[in-house]
Amino acid sequence: MVVGNDPEEGTAVNPIEMVLARLLRLGSLVAAALLAVGIAMMVLGQTELAPKLITAGLLVLLGTPILRVVAASVIFVRERDWHFALFSLVVLCAMAAGIYFGKG
Amino acid sequence: MVLTFIAIFAIGIAAGVVGAILGLGGGIIIVPALTLGFGMPMRTAVAASTVCIIATSTGAAVAFLRDRLTNTRVAIWLEMGTATGALTGALVAALVNQRLLFILFGALLSYSAYNMFRTRKEQQKPEVVPDAISRKLRLKGSYYDKALGRRVDYQVTRTLHGLIIMYFSGAAAGLLGIGAGIFKVPAMDQVMGMPFKASSATSNFMIGVTAASGAVVYFARGDVKPLVAGPVVLGVLLGAILGARLMMRMNANKIRLFFMPILAYTAIEMIYEGVKWW
Repeated sequence: MVVGNDPEEGTAVNPIEMVLARLLRLGSLVAAALLAVGIAMMVLGQTELAPKLITAGLLVLLGTPILRVVAASVIFVRERDWHFALFSLVVLCAMAAGIYFGKG
Repeated sequence: MVLTFIAIFAIGIAAGVVGAILGLGGGIIIVPALTLGFGMPMRTAVAASTVCIIATSTGAAVAFLRDRLTNTRVAIWLEMGTATGALTGALVAALVNQRLLFILFGALLSYSAYNMFRTRKEQQKPEVVPDAISRKLRLKGSYYDKALGRRVDYQVTRTLHGLIIMYFSGAAAGLLGIGAGIFKVPAMDQVMGMPFKASSATSNFMIGVTAASGAVVYFARGDVKPLVAGPVVLGVLLGAILGARLMMRMNANKIRLFFMPILAYTAIEMIYEGVKWW
């Protein structure tokens, strides 16, 4: 994947954008489907299963930005773009620490 | 119950459209609507709104990434600031005077609203000369503007200023629970010299990450109520997909015109929040 590394590259599609777009689309489709089915079941009176499906949808959605940072860091490491690999790692660590301290 | 679902869902769609166009989280619509309109407790509303920020970000980002409106390199550079800032904010929340911070950030936003108003007629930004970091990290970008019907190439400057502002914007988010996008768009647009649409799309991309750790915490505490968050988040997701498409066809100056009153309103709201107990 050297295409995106070319500093003069302007109009050609940068692979990282496409990979992230695909990841985010998958996340939002799965989340939307789970939410829609969950809400429909709630309306139909399935009060047992419906909240679980909705929670699952919300959790999928919650996972996408975290996965997005992980995916970006993997791509940067593969492209040997060490600066940005390091930046992504800093972001991930800060997020993890935020979750750790937030819970306590 | 069905009627409430539909009403919350509709609010979500509106918030998603507005959030995607302006690069904001939409909390400015969702929190008052849920607390004042439906009498829900603040904690439930804020938790739902935080998940909605992720929905806006994820829903709109797909279209923005495809059209290269999002500058991913700038986003990751600046995310270092927001993520560490949010962490600091959460850690020192008990130690600082929140009222003073509200006034401080309110003043900052007022200035940025004034600055945006002053330059509202400018179609083209004065030539931006990239600084050393921007050149080294190759932060420049280019996208095809559907409203202008041509390609826009741009450079990025004052990268360190931008990072520092992001740090404080992240801290504000952690401390005051506000400001998902409201600080980010002006920082990129006015300080770093990026085009408004690229600033909005990049802010939109970043807010999901800023909100994610907060959302995990709300989930763990059980503040995210599925029956409230479900319909509003689904609405926001669909609204954001729609809003992103609209935004790409809109003229940048028109988007600014929508952004300015929201900026001014938030500034006044924050200053009021700081002053009201005195």
